[in-house]
Amino acid sequence: MRLPERIVITAAGVVTPIGQDVEAFWSSLVTGASGITPIERFPVADLRVGRGGEIKKLSRIKSWSRIPDCRASRLLISAADELVGQAGLRPLPMDPARLAVVVGTALGGVEEGEKAVAGAPERRRLRGALYDAPGHHLARWLGAAGPVITVSTACASGATALALGADLLRHGEADAVVAGGYDVLCRFVMRGFDALKALTKDVVRPFDRRRGGLLLGEAAALVLLLRERDAGGARLGTLLGYGSASDASHIAAPDPSGHGLERSIRAALGQADLAPADLDFVSAHGTGTPINDRVETAALKRALGARAHEIPVNSIKPSMGHTMGASATLEALMCLLASRHGLIPPTLHLEEPDPDCDLDYVPGRARAARPRISLSTSLGFGGCNAALVLEGVA
Amino acid sequence: MRAPALRALGLLKAAGHGAGGLPEVGGRPVLSLVRPPHRDDRQRRATRECLLALAAVEAMLEDGKAGAPAIAGERTALLYATAAAYAASNRGFIEGGKGGIHFAYTAPVVVPAEVAIEFGVTGAYTVVLGGPPATLRAIWQAAIWLDAGVCDRALVLAVEIFEECADLYARARRLTARPLVEAAGCLWLERGRGQLTLETLRGGRRRGNGPPEQDGEMFGCGPIAALDRWRRGRASGPIELSGVWRGESARLVWSENS
Repeated sequence: MRLPERIVITAAGVVTPIGQDVEAFWSSLVTGASGITPIERFPVADLRVGRGGEIKKLSRIKSWSRIPDCRASRLLISAADELVGQAGLRPLPMDPARLAVVVGTALGGVEEGEKAVAGAPERRRLRGALYDAPGHHLARWLGAAGPVITVSTACASGATALALGADLLRHGEADAVVAGGYDVLCRFVMRGFDALKALTKDVVRPFDRRRGGLLLGEAAALVLLLRERDAGGARLGTLLGYGSASDASHIAAPDPSGHGLERSIRAALGQADLAPADLDFVSAHGTGTPINDRVETAALKRALGARAHEIPVNSIKPSMGHTMGASATLEALMCLLASRHGLIPPTLHLEEPDPDCDLDYVPGRARAARPRISLSTSLGFGGCNAALVLEGVA
Repeated sequence: MRAPALRALGLLKAAGHGAGGLPEVGGRPVLSLVRPPHRDDRQRRATRECLLALAAVEAMLEDGKAGAPAIAGERTALLYATAAAYAASNRGFIEGGKGGIHFAYTAPVVVPAEVAIEFGVTGAYTVVLGGPPATLRAIWQAAIWLDAGVCDRALVLAVEIFEECADLYARARRLTARPLVEAAGCLWLERGRGQLTLETLRGGRRRGNGPPEQDGEMFGCGPIAALDRWRRGRASGPIELSGVWRGESARLVWSENS
């Protein structure tokens, strides 16, 4: 396999339950702040679990008058507002046709579908219910006229989007790509996970022997991707490798063998032309479900060998819930921020380690360390597995 | 970009094959495909779009005169494109009570997951959402993966169903002016020697040869139907596949040999 052209990340924007810009997001991660609260935006009284990482008020955009009344689009545009400011994209410094948008989502604008089925008369609700609508809203807001792509590989979507965005640059279809992921917390998804009994009534405890499930959250995370030869000096990091693989095992649960995740890790390292010994840090999917954390630990040990025991591994999902389509992009960004700040955010609520989960999960408190090369892993419905390899900037 | 070679193609289409299928059933807003029978107990909860995807892959294998083992394993990539097949299960879950749609089946990714499970496909994958440009993007991405050695063969799957949401589509009449024709198709691509180019244009006029009016509207399945028509016509030379969705037009020019 040829070594692909290096793609750099030069700017980012986020909106999360623990902060509505990158700085606040990072600060909350390292201090162990929690964004988990009772859900207020829609009825949850009939559900087993009514808590999650809900963003109470979108504070970044001052006027929504010209932005679609669709929460998913508004999350994306809130994150984009920060990115645009960081990257100097207003006014666009390029031919709009050379700016592409690639977003990943598990749910798209499904909340618009709920409203349409409930009888909301507006036709825009129907158009918005298709999952690719928010990506097009974002492109219009950005003034982008290049390719607009929506990918949906469930909870690995945020990683898939970065990879496809990188391929657009490598093949000359765009000169800049706004890429990332998003998902909203809505009744549709809360009902679904509640029915699966995947939600915990406790806090989220990845890799803890008492872990009882996940909590959901909502977020959007976007990064600006450029070819390294086109980028200036300032950058957050480099996307070195990507790998994906199907489990072909079960529609809603990970393959107990973890072989799909293992293959995706090997593929990502292969594209980056790196060996396990080159890795300094792993951002795990770490949902806190009994099966995910055990499968993920086993796959990391097989894919990385002895190195798996030598490097820190964390999960940031306890602080804001599983943000689905946004999670892989947020976690990739966290890896780069760890390099920049010389700190690894902790895995919260890990107090009694599961004997089957025997890696160094950075429990409780942030750790002083400056990872240069990081691996970020994601798993999703349908047996999706994805892995990113990233290089940070100290 | 080096073009892939088309090894086989499977297509199920509610309007029959070729031009002229539609007028026979003219006047209906949605032309539907029947739900294929599930093969085993594991598939009893599978949605219609999942079962149609399996049938499309079987049709592709038959076209390629190959058995399922030929596409199994980690060297086969799976790429799925759809504009709206998931809308039916989304609606079913929203409206249904107990005994309704299993939540996992509301996710678009479950359609290729059922294919992966049934045929043992464990390689790279992606799911692209949108109309014809999404399917052209999936073919393009398959070519990238084949060229880079990520896989030895790539399956590009597309499914569109409309029956369950026919009333919603009628309300959203601006979505399409033509009858909606359900379809499921799958391409088997391998490394080739020709040339492939993909152009996208936002806000521009339709370029290239879109699907004929009499074919109806198949959203993401349109390019596969066009490829099928081109192959049945035994046309030579490059094929041009195109489509428009949400103001974005895409055109893929594919020459298998150069």
